[in-house]
Amino acid sequence: MQARSHRLSALPWIVLLGFVLCCLVVTATPQTPPPPGNHRALILPNPALEKWARLADMGAPPLPAAALQDDNPIVAPPGSLLAFFQRWGESSWSTGLHESRYAYDLIESVHVWALCLFFGLAVMFDFRLLGWSMRGVPVSEVGRRLLPWTVVGFVLMVISGALLFSAIPLRSYMNIFFRTKMIMLLLAGMNVWIFHSGVYRRVSSWDLAPKPPRPARVAGALSLVLWVCVVLSGRMIAYNWFDCDRQPQPAIVNFLTSCIPPQPGR
Amino acid sequence: MSLLAFFQWCEQSGIGDAIRRSSWLFPFIEAIHLLGLGVIGGAVLVVDLRLLGLGLSRQSAAQLTRDAQPWLLGSLLLMIVTGGLLFLSEAIKCYYHEAFWFKMSSLLLAILFTFTIQRKVTMADESRIRPLWYKVVAVVSVLLWSGVGIGGRWIGFS
Repeated sequence: MQARSHRLSALPWIVLLGFVLCCLVVTATPQTPPPPGNHRALILPNPALEKWARLADMGAPPLPAAALQDDNPIVAPPGSLLAFFQRWGESSWSTGLHESRYAYDLIESVHVWALCLFFGLAVMFDFRLLGWSMRGVPVSEVGRRLLPWTVVGFVLMVISGALLFSAIPLRSYMNIFFRTKMIMLLLAGMNVWIFHSGVYRRVSSWDLAPKPPRPARVAGALSLVLWVCVVLSGRMIAYNWFDCDRQPQPAIVNFLTSCIPPQPGR
Repeated sequence: MSLLAFFQWCEQSGIGDAIRRSSWLFPFIEAIHLLGLGVIGGAVLVVDLRLLGLGLSRQSAAQLTRDAQPWLLGSLLLMIVTGGLLFLSEAIKCYYHEAFWFKMSSLLLAILFTFTIQRKVTMADESRIRPLWYKVVAVVSVLLWSGVGIGGRWIGFS
């Protein structure tokens, strides 16, 4: 039993390592040059920048800012993620969500309401782990009775969030805060996994402690910080400070948003 | 001073003006406001789920209310401060926005309800309260606080 529990707590780290390795392999793989018709999309001010933008887009060729304007249709190379989200955004499903008078607002309301359910109760559980609240309640009791509700909240968040994304897929995909949010989500998910396969498996030995042992408190604090980051970056997706069609931007911003700004004078 | 004049005075205040002129101050305060909303949601739901028999049903409602109290009060205070700042920066818009008045009515009712009726019911001896009352109180509380949260979200929609 002890050995099994050790193996399980190493699993998340192996998966994380595997993910990082996959990212490295994908980004280091040489890119196929785009077909001749698409060269307009790849006229770049500086070849080094192109390489970085490609890395940030996980291997897909970059999109010029000029192409984001309506009178200059996007020439995203076939098979790239950009092309995929562009097609998605042009579907009647996406346009309907985007142009409906109330659909977007209603979905956004569901998203906020589910945030209270998910984030609120997750935070209460974290407070218990940190010994800041409900100190007289066994930790396993809080987990057993409240965490199922955070799962319900999370499912609602994912469904409503996916719908919000569907309404403006390309802009969301290129948004620096959306990308931050996805990374934070991944890290928060890793933390949940590590906690549940690690110290929480031995909860019976510290169930009644008003202040749980250090690993549990660290997991609680990490969870708190990461979910706060998810909420903050999610809220900021609405702002266009770093969007590709607002230039000039620092090179690092364009790198992080897979944006290739138009050349001056063109 | 009429209500509209008061709202105009708020809009013209130095703080409101400073928030309007900064490009990042409003989003920053709004983000904190949203975090406060999440914590209030948690503190309210811990008690309401217990009253519905869906949450921590082995603990007494009175004890959970006491446990959640500091977080409820703290986040409520945070919400009122950040919400007040947001209001100062767009008071006139709020005056003409139905969602604002809906939210403020819900907020007033939610605070009154939580700290009077709900408090009385949760603190009372469990044997003296009919279980149905617990459920009614929880449903009213969830509805009122949802009204506050969703009304607030709609202030942002034009």
